[in-house]
This record gives sequence, C-alpha cells and structure tokens, in this order.
Amino acid sequence: MTHPATASQPTTPPALQAIGISKAFVSGKLHTQVLENFSLRIEAGELTLISGPSGCGKSTLLAILSGLQKVDGGRVLALGSELGQLDLRALERFRLQHTGFVFQGFNLFPALSAFEQVELPLNHMGLSRDEARARARRSLEEVGMAPRMKLRPSELSGGEKQRVAIARALAKEPELLFADEPTSALDAANGQMIIDILHRIAHAHGTTVLCVSHDPRVVVHADRVLAMEDGRILSDRRTHAPTNDSKGT
Amino acid sequence: MVALARKTLIYEWRRFLPAMLAVGFAGLLQLLQLALVLGIFGSTSVYITGSSADVWVGYPGTQNVGSGRTINPDVESRVLMDPAVQRVEPYIWVDGDWRGPHETGGISVFVSGIDPSPEGLMFSKALLPSLRERLAEPDAVIVDRSVLDQLGVNIGETATINGHQVTVVGISSGLRALGGVNVLTSLSTARELDGDPTDVGPTYLVAKLRDPKQADAVAARLRGDTAFGPYTTWSARDFARISVRYWMFDTGAGAGVLFLAGIVFLVGAVITSQTLIAAVNGSMREYATLNALGVGVAALRRVVLEQAFWVGALGLLGAGVLGIVLMLLAHSQDVPVVLNVPAALACIALVMGLAAVSGLAAMRSLRRADPASLLR
Repeated sequence: MTHPATASQPTTPPALQAIGISKAFVSGKLHTQVLENFSLRIEAGELTLISGPSGCGKSTLLAILSGLQKVDGGRVLALGSELGQLDLRALERFRLQHTGFVFQGFNLFPALSAFEQVELPLNHMGLSRDEARARARRSLEEVGMAPRMKLRPSELSGGEKQRVAIARALAKEPELLFADEPTSALDAANGQMIIDILHRIAHAHGTTVLCVSHDPRVVVHADRVLAMEDGRILSDRRTHAPTNDSKGT
Repeated sequence: MVALARKTLIYEWRRFLPAMLAVGFAGLLQLLQLALVLGIFGSTSVYITGSSADVWVGYPGTQNVGSGRTINPDVESRVLMDPAVQRVEPYIWVDGDWRGPHETGGISVFVSGIDPSPEGLMFSKALLPSLRERLAEPDAVIVDRSVLDQLGVNIGETATINGHQVTVVGISSGLRALGGVNVLTSLSTARELDGDPTDVGPTYLVAKLRDPKQADAVAARLRGDTAFGPYTTWSARDFARISVRYWMFDTGAGAGVLFLAGIVFLVGAVITSQTLIAAVNGSMREYATLNALGVGVAALRRVVLEQAFWVGALGLLGAGVLGIVLMLLAHSQDVPVVLNVPAALACIALVMGLAAVSGLAAMRSLRRADPASLLR
C-alpha cells in the first residue's frame, strides 16, 4: 500500500514530510478513505508538482501538508514542526510566518487595489507600515505587476489577478509556498507566465514550492513530478528543468 | 493597515445598503415614536413647564396636574412666610363642559384659572403679556389654536362652560392637553365656573423663589405642616416628572414604547444581520484565503464587526437627518414632538446595539471560511 518517495535521499532535512498519514471523509453513511498509511518527503528549495486525476487525493494531500487540514493518523512535519501538535491558533501563526498560498480562484477582495491585496496579510505579520509597503511593492515588481498595482481586480485580467495572488503569497517571504491548480483558470500564455514565476520563486528565493496541477505545461518546469492516483504515488521522477530563469514578465 | 472593512463598505455599498436602510428606519421609527410620546405626554406637564413657578403646593398624593384637589387658601400665607419665597399665586383647575356656538356637542375642557397680572407665574412662558392682560376682563377665556375647530369657536365668539357664558378673547399656541382641551381664564372667572360649592380654596399654589436652585430644599422645608389641612409640595421639576410618568405608565403608553422598541430591534436586527451575513458570504473565499495565509479568525471577526459598526453609524446618520426634517415638519403642523438628550441617546444605543447584535450574528457565519474548502 505504501509508496514512499524514492527520490535520492539528500543530506538536508526535508521541508515537508508526511509519515504514515491517513485521511478519510465521511459523508452520511459513505466513508471514503482518501489517504492511507501515506508517506512523502518534499525537499526544500524545489518546485515539486503533484499531478493526477481529480479525486486522487492530491488536493487533500496539499491541505494536510500545508496545515489546513488535520490527519486521522500519522504525522506531518513542516520545517521541523509537527503540525498535528499545534492548536488552531498555533497553526494560524505557523501559516502566517512560514507559508504562502495560491489558489485556483484568485480570491482577491473586489474593493482593494492590487497593492492593498498584497499589503493586507503583511499588516498582520507585525511588520512596520513602511516595511509592509516596501515588501508589497517589491513583490509586485517581481511578478511584473508594479505598473498596475493601483488597479482593482475588476480592472485586471485573469493572469494579472493570479500574479497579484502570487505576489500576496510571495510578499510574506514564506519558506513554503502551496499552489493549487494555479494555471487551470488561465489561457496558455498566462499559464506559462505563472509557471515561470513559481519556478523562479523556488530557485531564486529557495522557497519550497508544492504545486498541485494536472496542467502538462507545469510538468516541464517542475524539479520533481509526483503522479498520484487513488491515494497513492504512482511515479516519482526528477526532471532536469532548465536552470536558466526564464523571464516571466 | 489596509482598511478592508471600510473599503469594502464603500466599494460594495449596494450590498450594504439594505442593512443601512434597515438600521436607519429602525432608528427613525423609534426616534419619532419616542418624540411623539414625549411630546404628547410632555403636554400633560405644560402647566408646569410653561410656567415660571419653582415650587408647587397641592393636595397630597396628587398624581398629575389634572387630578388635584382643593387645598386650604390659608396655606398661601404659610408659604409666603418662607424667606426664600418671592411670590405666591393660586392656580385653580376646573373640569368643565364646553358648549360652543356651533354644533359641536359637549366637549370636556380643563379650565385653568390663573393670575392675569403681568407678573403672574402661571403660563408665563406660554402667553404673551398682551394676551394675558385680556384675561382680566370678566368671563374672558383663551383657547389654543390647535383646538379651534374642535371647540367650534373663533376669537370674539361666545360659548358656555358649565352653563356659564364665556367669551374667547385670545388664541394661544402650544397649550394642547391630553384627553381634553385647555381653556385659560382668570382666577375670578374660574371660581364662577366651578359648580362645586365645597371648593373654596385653590387647586394649587405656585411659588417663585428668589433662587430657583433652592426649589428642592424649599419644597422639602414647606412640606409636612398640617396646621392648614392636608397639602404637600413639590419642586416644579419633580411635579412635572410625576405628571409625565403618571401618563406614561398608567396609560400603558410607556409599555407601548418599550414594546415597539423590542419589535423595531428585532426586525432591524433580522434584516441587518441577514444583509451582513450575505456580505460575509460574498467574501467567504477571500476571508478563507486570508486565513490560509495565517490571518487569524479573530482579525477577520473584527473586520465584520467594524462593518456592522459603520452600517450602524451611517444608518444612524441617515435617521438623524431624516428625523430632524420630520420633526421640523411636525412642529410646523402643531404635532407635539419633543426630543431630549436621554431619549436621543436611547435611540442611538438601540440602533448601535442592533448593529452590534447583527455584527455578532454575521461573525458566526465566518466559521464557514475554512481555507481547506478552497482546495476542493
């Protein structure tokens, strides 16, 4: 049943580690075992892609590894912390300090400008106003959205919204960045741009990027691709992604 | 700090408009009802508030101005003996039956017999000296502008009260009564109108003090002397309060106000909370994303509460503006409306309480902002 990651064991500790986790959902009388005795290591500073058909458990895995969902059994280690031992508050604090998220829907507040979207979470990190604004600006520049940072979501295209969402996650300078189908709502060109940005974040900032996607374009850029089906890893391969940072802007 | 609550409120004002209207109308409804009740029942103490007497002397246990009994006229000298008292005058209350020159049927009137001299205390704030002067003529009466149609008379016309002919010599304003009609006349005319031969003394004695601030102390000092038969004293403020309270609570009007306050609160809170909940639901994915990024639920709750606060404040502002306009309109139409600071504060408290309860209800729906739901 178990399919532990078979990638070469590096000397550095993994950024994320699942050890024998299991997770089931109960809906009425229906009991669905999504993951059972599942183990996985995700290395730091890489863009790791989990792909697979819908319902294979990849989103559940992402939710568990990012601390958004509790496991029924097993342990989850993120940056050395055991997530299962943290209470709700501590989990929120952990996410605030260490993680960024990019979702399929961009989930931007309609009332806020791009700049404010990025600044808002930083306000809660205890940063000074100037530091928060400087970070927000830097982050928007990095995703090529600086010229349009005064605009609201209704004035932005889908690709631009996703870049703002990435900037929002990136401005927190997280060690872990989770992305759930970040390109599926975008056209080819915009999708490509988002992939490039995620890839660059992993390599330029040493951020551990864990991306769930069935977009074949992402596969080419990932450092490591895990194929999942029915709650199991079918294949685990390292690609030799181009080392030059393609400009995504 | 990015002002998420305020910016959302401004940008999505259409979404919040129903809540603001609900809060505003709830506030307005309550405000006007309170103002009307205060106005109507305030008129039951117009005899006191429209006069410049500081101390009232009347029959013990009197619950409102209209239900006084006669006291011994010699009490007047007792009151005058007090060094703090500057002037004392009698005030006679007679319940009368009015028969107008036209077909109006019998109308119950409250005859106020007052001292018509220019320095007279009774209704000194409600009557111009020139108008007051005219009461010195025998059988002269003044009636209020608001009841002319009801009485079927106009200035210069005659009518009868308790079978005694009187002439309307003037028209006052702001002297509406509750449950009857006020008719002002002189003390001597009032005595003639009183059909009860046992009524020898005045219904009240009213006194002006050299220092009005001493009203409570002087009233207390004059009380309890039984040498001249039963009487008691009140400061004008206390007697007015007793009178209004009697009408508020003994007529059930006070309970009516409270009942409406409850209804207004309930209806307002239901509409407001539903609107706020819809607003929270509309931004549920965004809130969930913030929570995924580590922004605590407590901080998100503050955003919702702040929105509720602004909805309350803006609704209140609208209610205030509209309320002032309507009050001015009511004043111009002789509708008795009065608003004092405690009543206004009570309305503000009701509206903000309503907004707070709605905010708390909306806050609960934040529980559905589960970031894990974004991954499904």
